Amino acid sequence: MGLRSDWKYLLPYELLEPNWRLWSFVAVLAVGFWAVVAFPVAQFAGYIDPFYSPTVLIVPLPGVFRLTCYAYRKDYHRHLFKHPQGCSNADRGEAAGRKYTGERNAVFQLENFHRYFLYAGIAILPFFYYDFGYSLVYSGQFVLRLGSLVLLANALMLTGWTLSCHAFRHLVGGNIDCYSCVAAGNARKGIYDKQSWLNSHHEALAWISLLTIVFVDLYLRGLAAGLPIDVTFLRF
Amino acid sequence: MSQKFEEKPGEGTVKLRVRRGVGSDPATDRFDEFVVPMEKGMVVLNAIHYIQAHLDPSLSARWNCKAGRCGSCSAEINGRPRLMCKTPVESIEGDVVVEPMKAFPRLKDIVTDVDANWKVAAMIPPFTPKPGAGEIFRFYQQDVDRSREFRRCIECFLCQDVCHVVREHEADYVGPRWVVKAASLDMHPMDGLNRSKFMKDKGGLGYCNITKCCQEICPEHIVITDDAIIPEKERVVDREYDPLVWVYRHLRGSKEAEAQSFRATGGAP
Ligand code: SF4
Ligand code: SF4
Ligand code: FES
Repeated sequence: MGLRSDWKYLLPYELLEPNWRLWSFVAVLAVGFWAVVAFPVAQFAGYIDPFYSPTVLIVPLPGVFRLTCYAYRKDYHRHLFKHPQGCSNADRGEAAGRKYTGERNAVFQLENFHRYFLYAGIAILPFFYYDFGYSLVYSGQFVLRLGSLVLLANALMLTGWTLSCHAFRHLVGGNIDCYSCVAAGNARKGIYDKQSWLNSHHEALAWISLLTIVFVDLYLRGLAAGLPIDVTFLRF
Repeated sequence: MSQKFEEKPGEGTVKLRVRRGVGSDPATDRFDEFVVPMEKGMVVLNAIHYIQAHLDPSLSARWNCKAGRCGSCSAEINGRPRLMCKTPVESIEGDVVVEPMKAFPRLKDIVTDVDANWKVAAMIPPFTPKPGAGEIFRFYQQDVDRSREFRRCIECFLCQDVCHVVREHEADYVGPRWVVKAASLDMHPMDGLNRSKFMKDKGGLGYCNITKCCQEICPEHIVITDDAIIPEKERVVDREYDPLVWVYRHLRGSKEAEAQSFRATGGAP
């Protein structure tokens, strides 16, 4: 009521509900793991599947980065633990009788190390751009194909999600109380404001960047299966 | 949206189901039904006033400004915490159901006792000018942008009502309104206190699982979770969890005062 802007009524309500983000994350983990192990398609015609992009395989950090992300925390506290399931009385579900410790017990206190997973997340971002670059030049010639644009879109969405992180917001200026008292205060406030804009889309970016990874994976599997879905735009 | 109402102002009626009762006495707890004539632009508070004036003068309701400024008329309307004076009857499909806020003890009908909040307010370490702040504070707009958002709070306590921690659990959590308060002080350019240890140990900030119901319902559109609670959590991480920040602080020798003592006059509700 009045909380969603009008165009959003055009979309099915369920699509905007964060439980989609949660369940698609669970599904991607399960299906992704199964597909990666059972039907490996690590690379096809110069396209590197993001599931196999080196660091992603070696380090499970991106998964933990998502697990401790404030957007996903909201999702699983709501839709897995149902504390609460929703905000209105009709769908919040009574939790009064169930034990609740929030983010205070030994396991959930680990959420507080989210910023370290952010550092890891930032560190692996260049690999996705490397994969994009490699797909352009792998053959010794320069080729621009649809698949490269798909890789680029994925890299951009992952960058958007990573850099819209709340811990990053704190790091780039949220931790400053008096901008006119610190060095380069104006610049830092400017960066903070821009990051804050990005941060307000963090939940959406969290979901989109998950979907783009899966899309790239499916796209490569489609190519490997011989589907004619790649288009070459430029070659020289 | 009932279009018929827009086309024929003054015509038609709306049915209200109002939860009534005295204190916590279950024997008096009931829903009463009232049929009220529709008027163009009418809000739920208008309907309540109509009931008081024409149908049942014994109905109790608290209100003051009728303009969404005083925060007195908080209630649960069709299961959602809202201000009665800001909720158009038109925006509700079907009957209008009005209940008191569940998180606070009921006095009578839809009037609740929100006194527990003032006890929590007294716990928050107050504004403390930083060393060298001087008699007259000088700072720039960019320095107060963030804490200004929090000054919009009208203390309606709808966020406290919707927060599942305050509402459903006996936890020592100050609640979203009071994290907003602490954040407005922490982010003030002239404040010299660090409230992180207080917020973690006494304020129970870890109880918030950032499920954002408070942010969804705030009538002043304060972005409670993203702009106040999560930044406060990040400050707690700085202070209590992050080994690098800890090392940095000790090498540099932090001059920041820490809010250890506070005016304790009671626990969280
Ligand atoms: S933060 Fe918003 S919902 Fe909470 S008391 Fe203030 S105005 Fe009301
Ligand atoms: S985000 Fe935190 S403070 Fe707000 S309603 Fe949820 S648990 Fe309560
Ligand atoms: S009467 Fe003042 S906020 Fe509703």
